[in-house]
Amino acid sequence: MVPIVYYLLLSAALFSIGVFGVLTRRNALIFLMSVELMLNAANVNFVAFSIYHGNLTGQVFALFVMALAAAEVAVGIGIILVLYRNFGDVDVTVPTTMRW
Amino acid sequence: MAGEPIAFSFAPAIAVLPLVAFVVALAFGRYMPKGGAFATILATGGSLLFSIWAAVAVAGGNVHHESLYVWSPADALELHFGVLIDPLSALMLIIVSLIAFLVQVFSLGYMNDEGETGLPRYYAGMGLFSFSMLAFVMADNVLMAFMFFELVGLCSWLLIGFWFREAGPASAAKKAFLVTRFGDYFFLVGVVGIFTAFGSGLFVGDEAFPVLAEEAIRNGEQVLGFAPETGITILGLLVLGGVIGKSAQFPLHTWLPDAMEGPTPVSALIHAATMVAAGVYLVARMYGLYALSPTALAIVAFVGGFTALLAATMATVKQELKQVLAYSTISQYGYMMLALGAGGYVAATFHLMTHAFFKALLFLGAGSVIIAMHHNENMWDMGGLKERMPVTYYAFLSGSLALAGILPFAGFWSKDEVLYEALIHGQGTPLLLAAYAMGLLAVFFTGFYTFRMVFLTFHGKPRTETAEDPHGVRWNVKFPLVVLGTLAAVAGFINMAPVAKATGTHIDFLHQWLNGPEEAAALTAHHYAELLENPMFAGYDPAGTAPYLPALVSLAIALAGVALAYRLYAVPEPEQHTDKLGWLKTLWFNNYYQDEYQVWLAEGVTYPFAKAADTFDQGVIDGVVDGVSSVSLFSGSRIKRIQTGIVTNYAALLALGLIGLLLVLGVTGGWFA
Repeated sequence: MVPIVYYLLLSAALFSIGVFGVLTRRNALIFLMSVELMLNAANVNFVAFSIYHGNLTGQVFALFVMALAAAEVAVGIGIILVLYRNFGDVDVTVPTTMRW
Repeated sequence: MAGEPIAFSFAPAIAVLPLVAFVVALAFGRYMPKGGAFATILATGGSLLFSIWAAVAVAGGNVHHESLYVWSPADALELHFGVLIDPLSALMLIIVSLIAFLVQVFSLGYMNDEGETGLPRYYAGMGLFSFSMLAFVMADNVLMAFMFFELVGLCSWLLIGFWFREAGPASAAKKAFLVTRFGDYFFLVGVVGIFTAFGSGLFVGDEAFPVLAEEAIRNGEQVLGFAPETGITILGLLVLGGVIGKSAQFPLHTWLPDAMEGPTPVSALIHAATMVAAGVYLVARMYGLYALSPTALAIVAFVGGFTALLAATMATVKQELKQVLAYSTISQYGYMMLALGAGGYVAATFHLMTHAFFKALLFLGAGSVIIAMHHNENMWDMGGLKERMPVTYYAFLSGSLALAGILPFAGFWSKDEVLYEALIHGQGTPLLLAAYAMGLLAVFFTGFYTFRMVFLTFHGKPRTETAEDPHGVRWNVKFPLVVLGTLAAVAGFINMAPVAKATGTHIDFLHQWLNGPEEAAALTAHHYAELLENPMFAGYDPAGTAPYLPALVSLAIALAGVALAYRLYAVPEPEQHTDKLGWLKTLWFNNYYQDEYQVWLAEGVTYPFAKAADTFDQGVIDGVVDGVSSVSLFSGSRIKRIQTGIVTNYAALLALGLIGLLLVLGVTGGWFA
């Protein structure tokens, strides 16, 4: 059996890629994808610990997270659509009206 | 309570009737004949009847104490309205309702017949005034007494300022209210102090605060964190502040002469029954407390004696009839305070009673003269009114003889007893003896100014056309004058202490009256005398001086004053002899510059102090508050700039925050150890 550490390292790598994407990219669609990566990093953790502890709680939770991710993408796409209509772009640095 | 006389179940009505009359006169007065006068006259008459009935019940050996309404039923500190009818309050109730009744009858002549407007307001004020004073008199606890004490002050403001459209009365009303309020601050602190120290404000019963104070001294318990004697003296002096304000004692007497701006019947009421009497009555009511403290007593006596002399000297040079009477009131209340301080509880009550009669009489007499003179009050414009208004003259003369203290009029007996008490208790106490000396000296001035007033007003030749043909007065003026004139002549006979002592008969009825029923033994004159002579408390040691010689001395001094007035002023065309006093006259005429120094105190000391406090408040306190807010504003204006609106920045901050948190947790949790 693969030791749990490998799963955790994989999950950490996925999460870091996600964070990197959010922090460096300007395209809102890339943002959504990066968020998906981070969520899936969490899923990997859930499933790995589920096997490790020998119960199904983590796997059930992973299913919930997938549903949640789907919902999030639906809302996110909606926001991006409105963003595009209002600013003619999906660059997140363009809309700066909600500030001091 | 079973077995109580039925008269006591009507006791609350004594105060409530004038209150009802106040409401009626205020609401419907303008639709009623005489501006609602009959409502208040009837109500006060009813109060008088109920008071007499209650007094008869008290004479039958009963004391009535009842709690009417508890408005704060806390276990630790119950606050309530209650009624206490004992010999002292029964006597005072009769005096107050009688004077108020007669004054209101007189008002029919002074206000209605003279065509005044605003009469419903006037009679409503009279009703409220009587109500406040009667409720104050029958109060069974010190807080209720304080509340009605304040209400009395409010009523004086309403009535002194009755002609509020003129500048003088409006300002005098304000002055009366503010000056007495100043004294009342001390009283209020005293009330709180009494409740703090003893947990009770009752005047009567086992829980009465004078009784508890007595026990505190006997057991050596602390009062307000001081030794019991000190604590009780402090409480007594605090309450005395209110007394000095209301009873117009030095240095808070300045409001009273100004209060002459009000209608004359109001002056009569204020001076004789309802306002100035309240202060002296308060001391008498809680005499059980004062009798425990020789210091407080000595101060009471000294203030009284000093005021008596000071006011009497000022009265000798005044030109207006009512001004003379105003200063004589201050002086006479000084005598009452002197008596209280000197341990003459009965003497003070006696003088309070006789003074109520003769001073009301003198004011009403003066009112009658003022009607006759078409509202000119200057005595130098009068003269020769004796033949033209005989009823007023003889009544006024009776009152004047009583005021001057001439045998056998009421004032002689009471003033003599006051001085006698001061003399026998004062031997050995310099402060009391000084007060006695000042009181005795004031007798001379009293005789002089009283008869200067009489001779200038009624004797000699008329000095103006108005005085030659004065305006007539009707029955409603003459009736109160006749009643009071008779009382001023004979009221002294109820307590002829020197005669009682000489003949061995028991005709000192007031002494017996105030020794009262057994039921409230702690409220009797007998008990107070025991307290006064107990070395643990006041420690007075009455000297066995016989009363005849001091009586003769004070009578001789009074007669000397009268004789001087007779020699100088009982001539057809008197001159301003007081001019010969020179600078002394100027000093007296300007009231020892009391008003000036008090105004200076207000403008020169209090106002700059208040100004400095204001500057401190505006500068330092507000500065700190403003500084705190400007720091917040400035930092806010800087820190808000992290809200860039760019989502990447927020994400970066989140990530950095998370890393920071992890680092902190890691370092403190020992992950890297």
